[in-house]
Amino acid sequence: MAAPSSDTSPVLRLTFLAVVVIGIFIALFARLWFLQVLAGDRFVELADSNRLRTVVTEAPRGSILGSQGEELVVNRPALAISADRQLLLDNDGLPRDEEAELVIARLGSLLELDSDEVIERLRSQRRSPLSPVPLEFDVAPEIVFSVREHQELFPGVVAETLPVREYPFGELAAHMMGYLTEIGEAELLDPAFTDYRGGDLIGRGGLEQSYEQVLRGVAGQRRLVVNARGDVLDVQSEREPIQGNDLVTTLDVELQEATERLLVEGIEASRSIQRDDGEFLPSVAGSAVVLDARTGAVLAMASYPSYDPRRFVGGVSSEYWDFVNDRENFQPLVNRAVSGLYPPGSVFKTATGAAWIEAGLIGPRGTRNCDAAFEVGGNTYRNWNRGVNEGPMDLSDALMRSCDTYFYDLAYNNWLAENNASDADEVLVRVAQAFGFGRTLGIDLPAEPAGRIPGRQWREDYHLATRDRTCAQAEQADPGSYERELLTDLCQFGGVWRGGDAINASIGQGDVITTPLQVAASYQALANDGVLMRPHLGARVLAPDGTVVEEFEPESLGDVGMDAQTLAVMREGLERTVMDPRGTGFSAFSGFPLADIPVAGKTGTAEVRPRIPFAWFAGYAPANDPEIVVAVNVEEGGGGSQTAAPIARNIMEVFFGVSSVEEAEFEAGEEILD
Amino acid sequence: MATGDYEDRRLRMQRESVQSRWMDIYDPVRHLDPILVLTALALTGIGLVAIYSAKLTGVAAEAQAMGFVSRQLAALVIGIIGMVIMAVVDYRWLRVYAPIFYGISIVLLGLTLSPLGASGGGAQRWIELGPLQLQPSELAKLAMLVGIAALLHESKGRPHLGYVLIALGTTLVPTALVFLQPDFGTSIVFIWMTAVLFLIAGVKVRYLVALVISGIAGVVVALQQGLLREYQVSRLTAFLDAGDASAAQTAAFQTRQSMIAVGSGQFAGKGLFEGTQTRLSYVPENHTDFIFTVIAEELGFIGGSVVLGLFLVLVWRGLRIAILAKDLFGQLAAAGVVAVLALQVFVNVGMTLGIMPVTGLPLPFVSYGGTSLIVWFAMIGLLLNIHMRRFERPASAVPIARRTSIGAG
Repeated sequence: MAAPSSDTSPVLRLTFLAVVVIGIFIALFARLWFLQVLAGDRFVELADSNRLRTVVTEAPRGSILGSQGEELVVNRPALAISADRQLLLDNDGLPRDEEAELVIARLGSLLELDSDEVIERLRSQRRSPLSPVPLEFDVAPEIVFSVREHQELFPGVVAETLPVREYPFGELAAHMMGYLTEIGEAELLDPAFTDYRGGDLIGRGGLEQSYEQVLRGVAGQRRLVVNARGDVLDVQSEREPIQGNDLVTTLDVELQEATERLLVEGIEASRSIQRDDGEFLPSVAGSAVVLDARTGAVLAMASYPSYDPRRFVGGVSSEYWDFVNDRENFQPLVNRAVSGLYPPGSVFKTATGAAWIEAGLIGPRGTRNCDAAFEVGGNTYRNWNRGVNEGPMDLSDALMRSCDTYFYDLAYNNWLAENNASDADEVLVRVAQAFGFGRTLGIDLPAEPAGRIPGRQWREDYHLATRDRTCAQAEQADPGSYERELLTDLCQFGGVWRGGDAINASIGQGDVITTPLQVAASYQALANDGVLMRPHLGARVLAPDGTVVEEFEPESLGDVGMDAQTLAVMREGLERTVMDPRGTGFSAFSGFPLADIPVAGKTGTAEVRPRIPFAWFAGYAPANDPEIVVAVNVEEGGGGSQTAAPIARNIMEVFFGVSSVEEAEFEAGEEILD
Repeated sequence: MATGDYEDRRLRMQRESVQSRWMDIYDPVRHLDPILVLTALALTGIGLVAIYSAKLTGVAAEAQAMGFVSRQLAALVIGIIGMVIMAVVDYRWLRVYAPIFYGISIVLLGLTLSPLGASGGGAQRWIELGPLQLQPSELAKLAMLVGIAALLHESKGRPHLGYVLIALGTTLVPTALVFLQPDFGTSIVFIWMTAVLFLIAGVKVRYLVALVISGIAGVVVALQQGLLREYQVSRLTAFLDAGDASAAQTAAFQTRQSMIAVGSGQFAGKGLFEGTQTRLSYVPENHTDFIFTVIAEELGFIGGSVVLGLFLVLVWRGLRIAILAKDLFGQLAAAGVVAVLALQVFVNVGMTLGIMPVTGLPLPFVSYGGTSLIVWFAMIGLLLNIHMRRFERPASAVPIARRTSIGAG
């Protein structure tokens, strides 16, 4: 083009322009093809998410009922103050303008909250942006009145009635019922909670948690067509919420009330008992379990201290949350009956006794001398009944007197035999598991631990798992100190299951750890001719119209594996524990109509040094045809016969109609530290 | 018979002579380009339907939409009159009057910036004339095209530096005025138009290269010295992150919503008046700047392709007219129309598809806007004018005298 000729040059240059223009059009066609044909599906989704807003209507949660249909947990309408988030906050969650800031400040002073707290609650993802966000539940009628009266000062603020959990029986059975909180962020990421949205309430602790899917129902959904300004133009689809189903429990509400009250009264009364050293019993905490002897159904369950589930309605305050979780306050939120881990002490001797017979070391009527102490390898293991030789005893006698040395002797012999045996069978571990120890029982309550039945294998595994830490601690301890000696020994030989370990385990001490529920279940198995039933609270599920959706049948967990004679001797021993004047539980049941209602049971006093011993009692009645099983544990409650057995006795009295709750007085039994 | 034959022949020749003279006057009409006109009308028709759809929102939707349609129809009528005028007047007269048109448009652009100008959307682009709004930058587009084409025509295809500088000055004055409104898009159109005219007129390549370099330098300086307002810069760059969902409510919102609308239209579209993005006002300015979005959403790839195809027909007819034009002015004017058309289609449609920045350029013939529609029909008139007169010889060469002598003999 250096020398343009007037004839060809313009045409050439026009051709150049034509090429450029056609390139432009090719680019546009290509882009149009890409957006509409190749990527079209994605944009259809985006367009739908643009125009459709989902408003969720929460389904009313199902009720939890007692065995006779008593309403333990229901929904009730609550006055709530809610506010329109879109009107007050911008997309960044900050006040939209000065007007909004003023409204938020006014709301704050009305509800006695900081402005920041109001904004925080408004931001909650609990509800769709199109429905008002509840700020405070159960507000005083005056607050509702002032909002309605001065609506011009509170644009976008509404007073409405929303369903909240109500507890017609107050704190009753709080641990078993559980409570509701908003779902956590970590859970929302969990695939198991895909049908939950931020801010949804979810059951925690107790039946609210374990029957979440039954109670929850299905939230209703309205798909709204909205324009760019957020105005609702149309309802595209609507699904009514489906109310959650009701859960009928096995709880005997009257017995539950009695059990809770008798446990608290017994624990409080026991604090006036003076010990030998002049100190009063601390009796800091405790629990009680009442099972149906035949089905394993939980008739009542109490844990002390307790909490008030009403404090969780509409969101728990952080002070109360800290209070119920504080170890200083003995964690009122914890259901000790299910989650409390304790050495069982002498209530474990049923399992041990069965194990030694299973091992073939002794017959049910075979005897061992109940020495004052058992000596082996330079160590002395005393009977609880210090200094007295009680003569030869069979299993029945040993249970009645809670003779430790009977079990020590057999435990040591068993240890020797298992040490020399080539197979890895550990008879105590096996039999205890058949009794329900060292494993979860599958109760329909959350946070059920397995506990622990120690043995050779366990000791070896535990040592391997903790050796590095133990050895490091040994290195750091002061040279020459007892601590260093002990830790060095543990570091080197901690994996060895010694005779002393086996002896301690035989009386439910040492490394044996159980829950009150496991203790109750093991006695349920004895009461039920050796068949262990799964403890359970759920009886059936009812649809909102009252029809039965699901019936939960009692479920066997297997037989404890004793022959009829062994079982009979063992039950005889338990009956004599309560009804024979020499029995360790006799004093606690003095005055109980044992002729009409024979009682079988076992006391226990678990040493948890340096704390005061923990009191245990587990038993069943009537002994000849058992109906109920009762297990009671009192932390730092002293002797089982002293504190736990009288509480169990009172519960039985109320159950069998011997006396009313009001009449049943706590009367401490004899101080036997078995 | 012989005499009769002669008489017959004489009469026929006389008749033919009259016919010929009549034909001379009406000759250009026989060379109209009906495809060009019909294509422009088809685009306008599609535009009217799309405007109706875009405005079919809110309360009294139909009345509101019909209001926009009837105003656009009124502009169409004026546009057709303008087209006829532009076509009928021999374009050589346009060359003569070009400086006057140019001067008038400069004055109007100046008035736009004065207190007489009306503003909207952060820019001052209109002059209120009673119920009418006039957008002088659209008029200036035509005036500049004719003016610079006339100027370069004088160079006889060998423009030396003097022509280039004068043409450049002629471009920069209205460009600066439009830029101040601010209307970045139209100022780009002006510069592009002049660049294409330089190319067609045979301006030396080294001048063109120098111009491109100084143009780029100018843009850099404009950005660095903050000559562009912040919202302009953000609008220009927003399309780059239009894919980011969090960009809603920012400058990228428009582009993103437009892309969603276009993409969700898919191959066959959601159906006329059924576009959810359009119906629910997610796409802003969808009767003017984002009219193509409406078409692509409701009529899909098919509809979008038809519109682009119709523009390609206009380009084809325009380039054909440029090639057939009998003189340099015709070539320049026709090529200029094609160049401006292609650029506006590219910038506007590219904006709706997320590959070009958001500028306020309307889609020719389709977007709502009276001045734009009228000026575009006037441009069609200009093309027709050039096309009709492509065979016409200089007046002196017409052999009327000889025929007359025959007739007299």
